[in-house]
Amino acid sequence: MSDRDSAGWRSAVANGDFVIQQCSTCDTRRFPPREFCSVCHSRTWQWQPVEPTGTIESWIVDHTFAPGTTIVMVRLTNAPTCVMYGRWLAETAPSAGQTAHAVFTDDALIDWH
Amino acid sequence: MAKRLLGGIRDRTAIAGVGYTSFSKDSGVSTLTLACEAILAALDDAGLTPDDVDGLATHRVGDSAPPSTVGPALGLPAPSWYLDQFGGGSVSHSVIAQAALAVAAGMADVVVCYRAINARSEFRMGRAANPAPEAAFQAPYGYVAPAQMYAMYARAHMTKYGTQPEHFGAIAVTERAAAAKNPRALMRTPITLDDYLASRWIAEPFRLLDCCLETDGACAVVVTTTERARDLPHPPVLITAAAFGGGSHPFDGPDMTVSAAAELSPRLYSMAGLGPADVDVAQIYDCFTYSVVVQFEDYGFCAKGEGGLYAASGSAVPYNTHGGFLSEGYVHGINHIAEAVSQLRGDAGDRQVPGAEVALSTAQPGYVLAATSALILRKDT
Repeated sequence: MSDRDSAGWRSAVANGDFVIQQCSTCDTRRFPPREFCSVCHSRTWQWQPVEPTGTIESWIVDHTFAPGTTIVMVRLTNAPTCVMYGRWLAETAPSAGQTAHAVFTDDALIDWH
Repeated sequence: MAKRLLGGIRDRTAIAGVGYTSFSKDSGVSTLTLACEAILAALDDAGLTPDDVDGLATHRVGDSAPPSTVGPALGLPAPSWYLDQFGGGSVSHSVIAQAALAVAAGMADVVVCYRAINARSEFRMGRAANPAPEAAFQAPYGYVAPAQMYAMYARAHMTKYGTQPEHFGAIAVTERAAAAKNPRALMRTPITLDDYLASRWIAEPFRLLDCCLETDGACAVVVTTTERARDLPHPPVLITAAAFGGGSHPFDGPDMTVSAAAELSPRLYSMAGLGPADVDVAQIYDCFTYSVVVQFEDYGFCAKGEGGLYAASGSAVPYNTHGGFLSEGYVHGINHIAEAVSQLRGDAGDRQVPGAEVALSTAQPGYVLAATSALILRKDT
């Protein structure tokens, strides 16, 4: 699933780049990608590579919609206003505050371990 | 400082009637039929007829009959005001708010607000494509359903504040006990905390009994001027405050344990000139047990982090007296409003809260889509 706001990010991920948007006017970092900066309303931005790590903010273990999948909510280390989701690939269960490392998937998504 | 909005229409409009279809897992009829049945019941309750109606309002997510179909189906004489709002539970109470605005502004005199859904037999939540832009960053991971999203926020609350499964369970048990006194309720057999803990996982930390009932049914309420309502059979229930909006974080906020209701509630109370201590009965949007926890905090009934303890304390404000969406049925918000009306009229039978004069009724608090809405209703005294 991709739309006109997410396609660019998916392309970057497909190239192995872990990026978020950064406003060229006020430097606010944002994710998910949006054309306008919500702080200064500038439409000028660039992709900003950031460290592909974050901390686990929360997680669920699904039994219904994607049975057996642990889905994590990760707050990025170098962009703490940005939150990403993904599947948890580690053998042990996640815990709050734990450091998570991004994993690029074959279909241009980000999972975590 | 809370902005003062809508204060100019305080108590100028009222709810004069409520109507229901039966609630079930398979209505066997269309949402159009459900809508018509609930609207006719609400008009009958209000002592009015379809000829009196000049406004129709609903919200839906592409899953139900629109006002432009319902009006002609009931032979309404050219309604002068329609509202067909896109949205789910978060806008459920804003529909009433907007009807109140239309009536207060003289755009319409009698507006029937309704919600009709076959949420079990036809359109199950989380099984269809998520229309929100956020879905592009969530759905590919299997993160598609409100149950998962609320479970995610519930976990954050548990890890930050120590909220326990037993707190969620107490809400499920309390609401089921209320439903036992409500002939309309789908689930009336009492449950225990052990039943809650033994129910199967949906998405950890949520069990089956954390989740509302996917329901087929409809409910309608009649909004008119307070003046006109005073000439109708039932005591008017005044729309004292009606707020919608809130939610400055369209994706994920800085603190997952705070809902959009925290931004809305000061505005709501300011409009009413009332506070949480004035609320005699609260119908709190309970798509999941956790949504009750976070709203007790964000509507000011207890301190942040203490919503679970408060809900389970046994001394909480009487809430979800019809059994809520967890046990009465899930009509996406409007059945909370109808129950609040019943409590303020004093006709809630075995489940009546003695002396109830002020009610709070709330919408989905904005975790899924960033806005919410709520009403404060008051007995006409």
